[in-house]
Amino acid sequence: MTSMVAGSSLLVELLSGPRPAEWDSLREAAEARLEGRDLPTTQAEDWKYTDLKALAALTFGPAPEGTIDLAPLLLSEMVGTRQVFVNGHHAPHASCASAVPAGVRFLPMSTASEACHALGSVKNGATPELFEDLNSARFQDGAVILVPKHLKVALPLHLLFVTRTDTPCAVFPRLLVVLEAGAELELVEEHHGQGTYLSCPVVEIRLAEGAILRHERVQRESPEAFHIGTLKAEVGRNAQYHSRTLSFGARFSRQHPWVHLAEGAEGTLDGLALLEGTQVADTHSFMHHAEPNAASHQLHKCIVDGRARAIFNGQVRVAPGAQGTDAKQQSRNLLLSEAARVDTKPQLEIYADDVKCSHGATVGQLDPEELFYLQSRGLDADDARNLLTYGFAADVLQRIPVASLRRALRRLVMARTQAGSLGDLA
Amino acid sequence: MLSIKNLTASINGTPVLKGIDLEIKAGEIHAIMGPNGSGKSTLGKVLAGHPSYEVTGGEALFEGRDLFTLAADERARAGIFMGFQHPIEVPGVSNASFLRLAYNKKAEAEGRDELDPLEFDDFIHEKIKLVAMREEFLDRSLNEGFSGGEKKRNEILQMAVLEPKLAILDELDSGLDIDALRVLGDAVNRLQRADRALLIITHFPRILETIQPDYVHVLSGGRILKSAGKELALELEDRGYDWVLAESAAGGAR
Repeated sequence: MTSMVAGSSLLVELLSGPRPAEWDSLREAAEARLEGRDLPTTQAEDWKYTDLKALAALTFGPAPEGTIDLAPLLLSEMVGTRQVFVNGHHAPHASCASAVPAGVRFLPMSTASEACHALGSVKNGATPELFEDLNSARFQDGAVILVPKHLKVALPLHLLFVTRTDTPCAVFPRLLVVLEAGAELELVEEHHGQGTYLSCPVVEIRLAEGAILRHERVQRESPEAFHIGTLKAEVGRNAQYHSRTLSFGARFSRQHPWVHLAEGAEGTLDGLALLEGTQVADTHSFMHHAEPNAASHQLHKCIVDGRARAIFNGQVRVAPGAQGTDAKQQSRNLLLSEAARVDTKPQLEIYADDVKCSHGATVGQLDPEELFYLQSRGLDADDARNLLTYGFAADVLQRIPVASLRRALRRLVMARTQAGSLGDLA
Repeated sequence: MLSIKNLTASINGTPVLKGIDLEIKAGEIHAIMGPNGSGKSTLGKVLAGHPSYEVTGGEALFEGRDLFTLAADERARAGIFMGFQHPIEVPGVSNASFLRLAYNKKAEAEGRDELDPLEFDDFIHEKIKLVAMREEFLDRSLNEGFSGGEKKRNEILQMAVLEPKLAILDELDSGLDIDALRVLGDAVNRLQRADRALLIITHFPRILETIQPDYVHVLSGGRILKSAGKELALELEDRGYDWVLAESAAGGAR
């Protein structure tokens, strides 16, 4: 590690943690790539708008051990089966006694052998991002989830990652989700915490033919936290991957989803970010139409207040021969203050000719015509603004299929958009 | 109820209303007709308090109060309702909860009891019969994915819920087929009362066969050129607007 260039002391710290014995080849490969690398700076095109100086300035120690009172952290009303991870480690005592939906194989990553990795390691051909490699090098726990052939799981599986620390620490949760042919699962992945920390999850997903995964990702990290996540989904023939990423917390968050669609597959990458103060939320997505007749849908919405900043870079690639592709991408951004800022950039690379690709990006304020309509119904200006702001977000929330989560998040968003005084709007 | 004197208004510095005089009493139905671009929709928006229009002169008294000192929401709570030509869509807010919210804002302003969701449920189920709206439209998001006709139905439902003193209906007939027009026209007639006034803004005389006005005014170039009884609507149906414009030009030259 001494060969690292100046400024990379952060990487040294992050790599100084314990290195579990399992997954050796994965870790070695990641460490080899990390050798001599440094944190990206704003000179790098992909990091142009997101400055990691504040992260680099921190000194990271090991994640503390111990128990945690979960009650105040939980979204109320959530039903389903909850598996909890505290400071990077699976916490069976905090998890639901009813454990895991019948038929689903759930294995804490710390007890899974490297053979499991052959089940579903997702290789996208590109060199992993630095933070993915950091996770590969040092992840301690997480889960392997396997849904066997044709099993349609009725209850949602809820994974809650909680980090709580008094001194800066880093956690590297790792998930591997494999659905065999025709299997169906609703997965809720939630990140929450208190204190200053770096949460750096990697989620790998493999869906065999005809499998359907609905994946709700809720980022409610602490206001001092950094969240840099990688998601890689390989969606098989006629399989469907539908995800919504809801970003509320963290001073800095970055999502890096990559979806690979085989023939006839469907992919959804919807997103909602509610930002205030000096929060930064960055999404760099890659939707890869590798084969014919796949459909993708992306609706990415940001509500940006204060001096916060949202970045969206949505890459869509239609490979040669991927005829019949239907790709839709929309980036919609609502600015609630003068100093709020949004940078949005669609990037389409289309190498097939018989395709339907649409994209659009809007950045704006609330529509005066819409405000007038609500005021003409007797709502004062503040109520009208709050209702429209809530409605802008609810557009994404109402697509969440897990009713209990949808209700809980609606309440959360109503509180954040000051629409709470307007009563139940559902 | 509403007394408008020499009202002038502009948008982005361009005059649109150039001296409107209009007197509307409780129980009356007035129709404002005119060619496209005549300023008739502007009149409705100015009365309802649209912020993009600037009132540059004249006055409008609503029950003796100066309308232009009130914001749009204050006018609504005072009893003015505008049915929009193009109602907006709000995802994630159910039609029923929006209607209840609007109802309770007005009830609060009038010192009446607000309705809880159960009470409102009974209340609204009576109201939707009036406009022949299917129940499922109450649970759907406000106007989201509604057809043009369904949106107009929803506007009249809102009118029925809010019980305004003065209802301004802007191009109610646009986007409606003949059957829906009859249903909504009948609903508006049944909502009409001795203490309520209606201002119907329309390009086509057809709607006035169902909602029969006491007075018809032809607006063009930001001025009312001609006012008469409902027979004027029939004459406009036969002859169009050109003759009114010509007559007015001749009168102006005299």
